[in-house]
Amino acid sequence: MEALRVEGLTKHFGGVSAVNNVSFSIEVGERLAIIGPNGAGKTTLFNLINGQVSATSGRIFFLGQDVTDLPTHLRAHLGQARAFQIISLLQRLSVLDNTLLTLHGTKPSRFKMFQPVRQFTEVYDQAVETLKSLDLWEKMDEPIKNLAYGEQRRLEIGLGLAIDPKLLLLDEPSAGLTKEESADIINIIKKLGQEITVLVVDHDMGMVFELAERIIVLHYGQIIADGTPEEIQADQRVREIYMGIEECIDHAGVS
Amino acid sequence: MDWFITNMLNGLSYGMVLFLIASGMSIVLGAMGVANLAHGALYMVGAYIGWTVVVKWKVNFALGLLAGALGGGLVGLGIERGLLRHLYKQLNEQVLLTFGFVYILSNLCLWIWGGMPRMPFTAKVFMGPIELFGIVYPKPRLAVILIGLILAVGLWYLQDRTRIGAVVRAGMDDKDTTMALGINLERAFAFIFFTCAFIAGAAGVVGAQLLGVHTELGLDVLLLALIVVIVGGVGSIQGALLGGILIGVIDSFGKAVFPQLAMFTMYLTMIVILIVRPTGLLGRKI
Amino acid sequence: MGISRREIGRSRAVRVVLFVIVGVILLINPFFLSGYGQGVMTRFLCFALFAMSYNIVFGYTGLLSLGHAAFFGAGGYVVGVLKLRYDITLFWIGFPLGLLMSTITAALFGIIALRATGIYFLLVTFALGQMLYSLAWNVKWLCSPGMNGITAIPLPDLGIPGVTLNSTSFYYIVLGFFLISALLLHRLVRSPYGLALVGIREDESRMKAIGYNTWFYKWMVFLITGFFAGIAGILFTYYNFFISPKHLGISTSFLPMVMSIIGGLGTFLGPVIGAAIYILVETLAGTALPERWPLILGGLFIVTIMFARKGIWEYLLRLWAETSFRDGSTKS
Repeated sequence: MEALRVEGLTKHFGGVSAVNNVSFSIEVGERLAIIGPNGAGKTTLFNLINGQVSATSGRIFFLGQDVTDLPTHLRAHLGQARAFQIISLLQRLSVLDNTLLTLHGTKPSRFKMFQPVRQFTEVYDQAVETLKSLDLWEKMDEPIKNLAYGEQRRLEIGLGLAIDPKLLLLDEPSAGLTKEESADIINIIKKLGQEITVLVVDHDMGMVFELAERIIVLHYGQIIADGTPEEIQADQRVREIYMGIEECIDHAGVS
Repeated sequence: MDWFITNMLNGLSYGMVLFLIASGMSIVLGAMGVANLAHGALYMVGAYIGWTVVVKWKVNFALGLLAGALGGGLVGLGIERGLLRHLYKQLNEQVLLTFGFVYILSNLCLWIWGGMPRMPFTAKVFMGPIELFGIVYPKPRLAVILIGLILAVGLWYLQDRTRIGAVVRAGMDDKDTTMALGINLERAFAFIFFTCAFIAGAAGVVGAQLLGVHTELGLDVLLLALIVVIVGGVGSIQGALLGGILIGVIDSFGKAVFPQLAMFTMYLTMIVILIVRPTGLLGRKI
Repeated sequence: MGISRREIGRSRAVRVVLFVIVGVILLINPFFLSGYGQGVMTRFLCFALFAMSYNIVFGYTGLLSLGHAAFFGAGGYVVGVLKLRYDITLFWIGFPLGLLMSTITAALFGIIALRATGIYFLLVTFALGQMLYSLAWNVKWLCSPGMNGITAIPLPDLGIPGVTLNSTSFYYIVLGFFLISALLLHRLVRSPYGLALVGIREDESRMKAIGYNTWFYKWMVFLITGFFAGIAGILFTYYNFFISPKHLGISTSFLPMVMSIIGGLGTFLGPVIGAAIYILVETLAGTALPERWPLILGGLFIVTIMFARKGIWEYLLRLWAETSFRDGSTKS
């Protein structure tokens, strides 16, 4: 079963094509990484899949359904969860408020107007559980901006997972994190089950090669390689474009 | 045919006034991201000063125009340098602050000039009618069209052909890079604001030929400016010109055919544009 | 956070005491005031309700709408027209119809205005409000003979034989509506919907990504605030004896904004405090310097922005924050 399929996806911004005739598909449970130099179109691709940006042409299928014209919030209901390149948590609100908001987002109770939020005990309990498992329960009343960057990232991804998504979109999860914090995130993702499909964009080759079963390389908005980590490593074009990849691979100790 | 020409000229002259009113507001909004709700009040100040110079002191119209423009410009500059520049990027606060000046300036004008509305006035040279295209048409209205066109060309030149225009457009597109290039954005902004306030004051004197002068102008003119900006789009002279003329013409013909509709045709146009093209006909994305 | 139990207990006590004092004042003041004074208190409550409702769309949701007086005045105009054209003064007809009109107007405004974003949204709401103003000014059917606006609107008839309202009894009716509305709005603000509004203000893009149909939330906010602004406007019209196009236009739209900012934007009771301050200044200026009132009002705007941007409530807010620490409310 395909979790995601993208056909002939193209996005023009004025005269520039950020994404140019991109086609690929991901099976349920797959761990796919998308890499490429800066400006290759990776974030635009995510924005297309998640709905922040509408395609110039092409189609996007999520779990078999054509979502090309579907607004973002409905894609969340279908099962997409996303962590953004710049942490998107609401900085001035508390950890608990952010958690409650995220959990309610896909539940019908989000429209309730006359009962206090805390009275929705099922959701509240889930929030408590989630925060405890992320080791952030003590900080529940802290505004997000007071948390360390690594904690914020952990929370953002943790919240994304708390709503039982089918597709997890991670946009540069390791950006701004220390080695330990990155390892932390890698562990969280490794523990995920086969019902969740993971799509990662990152520059940290260590993380990419540890997590990904398959890698797509994007360059100037086009796919130039698609294969297993070994195949990508060996691909001559990729090596040329991505100078220094050998160094990164050696450092990460991947064979 | 006469009916058509008369109303067309009415529409064009009114449209020119609208353009002059709206252009300053649109540029400040587009270039600096500042919503200056006192723009109509600056028009009013210019109109009152112009009246004093031309009608009360019986000095010539050109000087009255200059005086009104300077008056508007200086008051505007005062507001910007004194208070507004602390509020960049804070839309809510700007709106409240500038609207406060509508009240203050309106009441001050009331205090100084009294509550009697002033009749439209014009230069001696423009008084009376002229024969044109087979109809008899008042010269002041033609003067408005002429002056409006001259100013439009001048402003377009300023916007598209001069260095300051380029700075403004760069600042509109990317403030940080512009500043990183060593351009003194603060001074540029003060200059832009002054210029737009200057235009507002000038518009007050030019428009006085059609609209007269009274203390409600601050609000009335603001509303007109906003409608033109919504229709024409923010940030360009061309947008203000197109919006102004379009609305002026629609309003004139609307009033000629359905006199009881008053300002309704304007509002209708605005709503249609909002539905069809929310950023205005020639608007830049802000 | 290092707040001792005693501090919480003490802050809570202070909160309760404050509430009681204000409550008592609100309840017994008519007995100490002349008809004029009672009128001022009634006016205060109407504006306080208007400001509280506006604060939901402006402070909590972050939408700078400049057309809200349209909802305030629309209800009032229905009441006026019912009296002027149909000689109906029954509360049970005027109030519901007026409220319906306010809410429908808000719904329509919302659909149009929400097509615009950022600065355009502001411009559009402004123009829509002025459109209604212009309508009320020009349409003869909406005017008492010889003037702009409708006059001679009496206090409502409750349809109960032998009962006629006077300024004191009407004050208590207004107080009742104010308290019930305040309670409902308070619940709204603490509900999941209310929390979502704050989320939309902080980062609408994220809210969409986690499943919220933000357009719908914003449109509903128009309806809700239009509804409560309508209540305020209808009660105001009865008190004021007179409704004018000005009550639909920008000059009235700005008032709840000023009040909200003075009192403390995005706090629940900030607008009420702001309304109290405004009414105070207005009453004082009215007796001392009536001709310069617009000047003073403009000055009030300027002073508020340059010096009191966080609002007077900011100081009291700390007390609230500390007492809200663990009693089940959300802090935003």
